[in-house]
Amino acid sequence: MADTSETAAAPRTHVSLQVNGTTREVDIEPRRTLLSVLRDDLSLTGAKPGCEMGNCGACTVLLDGEAVYSCLTLAVECTGREITTIEGLSASGELDPVQQAFIAHDALQCGFCTPGQILAMKALFATNPHPDDETIERAMSGNICRCGAYPKILAAARALAGTQAAQQ
Amino acid sequence: MNTFEHVTVTDGNEAVKLLSERGGAAGETKIIAGGTDLLTLMNASLIAPQRLVNLKAARALRYLRFAEDGALHIGALATLADLERDAGVARRLPILVESVRDAATPQLRAMATVAGNLLQRPRCWYFRGAPHCWLKGGAECFARDGENKYHAIFGASSCVAVHPSDLAPALLALDAELLINGPSGVRTLPLAAFFHEPTNDARIEHTLAPDEVITEIRVPGQPEGANGAYLKMMDRQAWAFALASAAAQLSVEDGVIQQARIVLGGVATVPWRATQAEDALTGQQLTPELARTAAEAALAGAAPLAHNGYKVPLARELVRRAILRAGSVPHP
Amino acid sequence: MPIRIITTHLEFEGQISEQRVVMEGEEPAVWGPEAELAVVGKVTPRVDGRERVTGSAQYAYDVQLPGMLVAAGLRSPHPHARIVRIDASRAETAPGVRAVYHHFNTGDLNNPSNDRPVFGDELLYQGDLVAVAIAETKEQAQDALALIAVEYEPLPFVVDQRAALAADAPKVSTTYEHNTIPEGFPQTYERGDLDAGFVQADVTVEAQLSTPTALHNSMETHGGVAQWDGRTLTIWSSTQDVYGVRRGVASALGLQQNQVRAIKQYMGGGFGNKFGAHHSGLVAAYAAYTLGRPVKYMLSREEENLAAGNRPETIQTYRIGAKKDGTLTAIEQHTIGNVGAIGSWFSPVAMATKELYQCANIRTVDEAARTNLGTQASFRAPGVVEGTAGLEVALDQLAAALGMDPLELRRKNYAERHQALDRPYSRKLLLEAYRLGAERIGWAERDHEERRYPQGRDGYLRRGIGMASQLWGGDGGPPAQAIAKLLPDGTAVILTGTQDIGTGTRTVLAQIAAEELGLPLEQVRVELGDTEFGVFSPPSGGSMTLASVGPAVRMAAAEARKELVEVVAQLSEAPTDALDVRDGHIFSRETGKEMGAIGSFLELLDGHEITAKGMRGPNAENMSVRTFGAQFAEVEVDIGTGRVRVLRIVAVHDCGRIVNPLTFSSQIEGGIIQGLGFALMEQRIVDQRLGAVLNANLENYKVPTIRDIPQIDIILLDQPNVHANTIGALGAGEPPIIPTPGAIANAVAHALGRPVKALPLTPDRVLDLLNS
Repeated sequence: MADTSETAAAPRTHVSLQVNGTTREVDIEPRRTLLSVLRDDLSLTGAKPGCEMGNCGACTVLLDGEAVYSCLTLAVECTGREITTIEGLSASGELDPVQQAFIAHDALQCGFCTPGQILAMKALFATNPHPDDETIERAMSGNICRCGAYPKILAAARALAGTQAAQQ
Repeated sequence: MNTFEHVTVTDGNEAVKLLSERGGAAGETKIIAGGTDLLTLMNASLIAPQRLVNLKAARALRYLRFAEDGALHIGALATLADLERDAGVARRLPILVESVRDAATPQLRAMATVAGNLLQRPRCWYFRGAPHCWLKGGAECFARDGENKYHAIFGASSCVAVHPSDLAPALLALDAELLINGPSGVRTLPLAAFFHEPTNDARIEHTLAPDEVITEIRVPGQPEGANGAYLKMMDRQAWAFALASAAAQLSVEDGVIQQARIVLGGVATVPWRATQAEDALTGQQLTPELARTAAEAALAGAAPLAHNGYKVPLARELVRRAILRAGSVPHP
Repeated sequence: MPIRIITTHLEFEGQISEQRVVMEGEEPAVWGPEAELAVVGKVTPRVDGRERVTGSAQYAYDVQLPGMLVAAGLRSPHPHARIVRIDASRAETAPGVRAVYHHFNTGDLNNPSNDRPVFGDELLYQGDLVAVAIAETKEQAQDALALIAVEYEPLPFVVDQRAALAADAPKVSTTYEHNTIPEGFPQTYERGDLDAGFVQADVTVEAQLSTPTALHNSMETHGGVAQWDGRTLTIWSSTQDVYGVRRGVASALGLQQNQVRAIKQYMGGGFGNKFGAHHSGLVAAYAAYTLGRPVKYMLSREEENLAAGNRPETIQTYRIGAKKDGTLTAIEQHTIGNVGAIGSWFSPVAMATKELYQCANIRTVDEAARTNLGTQASFRAPGVVEGTAGLEVALDQLAAALGMDPLELRRKNYAERHQALDRPYSRKLLLEAYRLGAERIGWAERDHEERRYPQGRDGYLRRGIGMASQLWGGDGGPPAQAIAKLLPDGTAVILTGTQDIGTGTRTVLAQIAAEELGLPLEQVRVELGDTEFGVFSPPSGGSMTLASVGPAVRMAAAEARKELVEVVAQLSEAPTDALDVRDGHIFSRETGKEMGAIGSFLELLDGHEITAKGMRGPNAENMSVRTFGAQFAEVEVDIGTGRVRVLRIVAVHDCGRIVNPLTFSSQIEGGIIQGLGFALMEQRIVDQRLGAVLNANLENYKVPTIRDIPQIDIILLDQPNVHANTIGALGAGEPPIIPTPGAIANAVAHALGRPVKALPLTPDRVLDLLNS
């Protein structure tokens, strides 16, 4: 059987990514996931590796405003798309209303899943400023919180639902 | 994950060319679109393609449109989220929305394509894990006498994994067909002929050739008075593959069922059409008793394994409820 | 200040041990019910909330250092095998690879937490560590694993706990004489005369509950980043115990403790299995020390679920005797637990049986089976979650046999004293919890037709209500230390060595310090999670952090405040008792007049900082300080599909004073949700023929999602326990998970009118139960 893993350096591709409104250039192997490039190459460690198989949601980022799992997204396929990570939400220094609501309602415990939760909620409010409980729960069902902050995540979303702030 | 060459194409023909030029049969070149199944297979080293052909840039393949004859044309790259959000689909083919809204998660639905959903490999924990099982080319199906609570109660395959798709039973109940692009042009294939119980010679759940690409899924226009329902049971309230599911699509005229399609999910290596149940329904007045009779018929011949006997009453109940829901019959 | 050594007693799992406490100075008087507190007890958003919502909080997984290498682990595919040979030459020369460690080159690296080699030559479970590759990138390290050629000699194995205890069972290790914990097992506890107890009984029931192996699945896996600079080895670890990491790494590498620094600022969940350095931390430290470059080793999710501990499965059988009026006369409990390959202790599954209800005649027997599976570890109220579920399920079956209301049966057998130790509880508010919880859930209407059959009797929905009680420690104890520093501008820094594992420790400690110092919360910063700058604090486990570290912080702050008042008194020529400190300012007690901000006085001292020490004092003597509580669950079962939905949980827990109602309720909710997962969906699945775990992932090891969550009503008791410690607070981490599975199981049994015999109550199990 041909053994390809011993071939010297794997071929790299030059990729230009739009991350949080800034163009970032990287030379990467095509097999690199968006998650690993964000973390290891761009030092944006807000997106977390929880399972790297699309089973936990900790790596959630926004791709053209939609929540996706960055662990199952190849970075080379993100050219020309707008990538938003948790670091991009408060780039101005001021916290996003969703972030503020998470703090006020204690919608987090250990905090490891929190960036993903916040971005999933961001994606929800971007399309639906007035979600009811079921809509909130469905929108947030792709993000596991092992600490069980769910009741307070729901409370944070309820507090935002229908407010001006949610639509920012 | 193995290393690979990554090529982006902008239409299906280009993809077919790349698939055929180096003998796609060896699994050497694979299409990547949503990537939600492919990358997990690669992460687990179940496949190691040397080249990925990125079809996502073929933007023209992402569409949902109703044709004049009422047929719904779904571009291969339409995502599950596209289906879920489409107002026309919700109005005219509610079964499709019901089938996708409890599939996976919002994130995965935003990523996963309709065509990819039909091509996804089973979730069997032996297949996805280290054991060299029959489906992977080994000698034995470890699930058959092992831990099989998630496994098949129907089918003749040596493999007892179940087909994981939620969308597939619904599309099958709608008599959907596929437009497939291959080296010799475009062919049309009924979805029913696309699914295939893995056999010794073809240990795969579908009949798509390695050098072919699905370009469109076409759902024929439904008659007046047609309605459908999809019910899924999971072992938590979200983010789980079906323990069992039932798709029912009925067309009813003057209270009499003209045509019925009943398809079960999570019970066989392929979405399982319950023709006996359909026969029991056709030409009859829909009543709670009839639904019960049809549900019984749907599960006739089920052969559960050691740990999945529960699927028989479960699937039966889902079929019964799906029929009543599709027929808008109030029921407990 | 002179020091005194005081002997105190710690109670752990029913055992009393002596402990020496070094005290310097006096603890302040306890904050009793009359204390008027301005910051403590108020809803307080986390002081580190901003870091946690912006992604700037640095977890071990996030640490990136210049020149850092990355590790990947090769794990045993066999449940039991000997490594015959390893050829790593191809891996070692692969691109980017800097080292490959395995038994034949690193066999002498010892894991001090179990005194075994990190790289043994006998593999005892699927997932046991075979080799680790260290490379420039994670991908290169992973690629290298495929190039390591290992020749295994498979050995006979056993994974079933009952099979493992059979005389002719294969030995889990060739070094074992039998497959049980060598010392003290089976473990028997007896009091009274069991046989006589059953003779007195009018009714005897036998009950059984099997509980699954549960996997912690913290969102952040085990691991760390280590760096050796020639003088100090620094390790950033995802740990509940930085001092344990320091000790472990120093011991494994033969370094002095002052050469090791362990840091944990943020961690992605603990739940009980992140105490020692763990082999991932040891390998990272060893590699960094050997290679002279920083090394990161974070486990994959699969490694985590195979090799980082679990709540062991149990098979519990009960025999309970009672008089017609419900008086318990005898309880016998027999438990077999599966402690995995090298389990050396077994969690206290019999704690509830020994203590929760009044009964003179008790016998409990715990058998601990070693098997060729990953070793157990403590997991949020280890043993007591499982044992309470078993006992409470059995008690409901007794209530049914007696024709008695289950809650009434519990009231009837209320234990006023700690029976196993024959001494009083500091206080017990369980009857109050029963009353409040029953009222809120509507216990009196639990059998009403319309409540049990929401669609009528012909419908498919059945509702049921069940309850369970909770008993746990949470009283903490010494040693725990803190330092309070008042800086020249009147702000404060509190130094501790504790960890905030997500519970909100940093926030409650800041509240306590602010309260005692008379400072606004924003002027207090709490430092923790660093052995270099902290002072000793215990591991963050056993619900003991607040009750141990909180009083130490309070004392340090009180001492600092004393010195501050002294300083101000001399500067302003006023007697100390004429001064008050509030809200960052000094006031005259007599006139109520503000004399100036704290900083305005300290600034006169040319940079002098007030530095004071505090320590957790001894425990109360001759009494047991416990947390008690009760939960009531209402469930809805669809008998057509087997779906169980928990509609509502009412939780009433006495954890003493509640320092921060916001993070307290988060703890209660989190515990309930993990308990719900245990009751309804979580279970490790093992193929008996292959000895393989089939769901070492988050796909098929199911934990609750937001859609699985019931309405949770928390009724606050919030009464300081004046015997516990000077802040009157007890821990709340473990109490809330304890009664949830039992309450849910009893609610399901009530809904279905059938006894529950096994958890989790997955749809297949419910359908099988209905069709049995």
